[in-house]
Amino acid sequence: MPESVPASLILDAYKEIFREARGGRPSEPLGWVLSVPDTHQKSVLAATEDEANAIAAGLWIGGEPCILMIQHAGLYASINTLRGVAIDGKVPIFYMIGLLQRERDKDPRDSRHSMVRWCEPLLDTFGVPHARLEGPDDVHLIAKYFKLSRERRGPAAVLVGLETM
Amino acid sequence: MKRGDDPRRAAEPVTAMKPEELLKLIAGARGDAICVPTMTTAPEWRDIAPDDLSISCVGFMGGASSLGLGLALANPKRRVIVFDGDGSLLMQLGSLATIAGAGPRNLTHLLFKNGVYHTSGAQNIPGGFDVDFVLMAKGAGYRTAYAIHEIDEFKRRLPSLFRDEGPLFVELHTGLADKTPMTARGGTPFPDQVDHLRKKLTG
Repeated sequence: MPESVPASLILDAYKEIFREARGGRPSEPLGWVLSVPDTHQKSVLAATEDEANAIAAGLWIGGEPCILMIQHAGLYASINTLRGVAIDGKVPIFYMIGLLQRERDKDPRDSRHSMVRWCEPLLDTFGVPHARLEGPDDVHLIAKYFKLSRERRGPAAVLVGLETM
Repeated sequence: MKRGDDPRRAAEPVTAMKPEELLKLIAGARGDAICVPTMTTAPEWRDIAPDDLSISCVGFMGGASSLGLGLALANPKRRVIVFDGDGSLLMQLGSLATIAGAGPRNLTHLLFKNGVYHTSGAQNIPGGFDVDFVLMAKGAGYRTAYAIHEIDEFKRRLPSLFRDEGPLFVELHTGLADKTPMTARGGTPFPDQVDHLRKKLTG
């Protein structure tokens, strides 16, 4: 049964990722959160997920760590840019993908909502490694998949099971 | 249908600037600015400025402005110049608001406006040459936005493109480029461009 993950735990995970990405060197900003829509501090609010992917590429080229926060609908909308930038372009991009309307008592692949149901199969089709953030104990997956995106020079994603608190 | 045959394109300029001439002038004045060409500016630019601080938006049409924004945010002390196309910008028109919202002072967004999708056969873009991107950029919140129709005006304003505070948007009324990514294939693959530029920027 999935549990909601406190947003503070997720933000702490981001900070740790950014510190490690910079090798412990102090920096302002610490890192970038590209969000559609904007829900966090130190973020760039992008109008579309296509834009967020391309901005992430520019930040990567310039040596800046960043995380993309999008919804499943945004993944569908931007899959061609994900392909062009993160897969063909070999730009490491880490995605936090919200499964809005996921049912607490159903596996996402069995959801009655197509937005939820097709998210993981779509990631599988494009060969994007992914994991579910099913509760507070899974927060470590954020750093793990962020690193995975860097190691494989491509996309990697963590799916947020339920709305954060 | 040939370019110019469509009555909807009545507003097309009579003396459009040549994109190649504009690119050569930019190359001579850019200093150490990062340049982001896309679509029909890409083949000419790689001949004019090979192996330098440039990266072509290849494989994700419409992404040049956002790629430029990411570069500008990551390199606030260096000017970033985007060579966008009108058809390309229409694909990510929201990037005007995204860029204005982020407010990079070092970003210059040049729009090479020719009214068509040149690479795929010069079909009209929606609205043709009448689409007013300057108005859109102003409405989105760019610090400055204006159009240039004549080469002499471009030469006169050229230094300010690298000096004025961004985000700066300039609509350049141009004719068609001699080459397109379809007629002049090749160039460095995008992943290799990423590696080269990242190495230069991050040491």
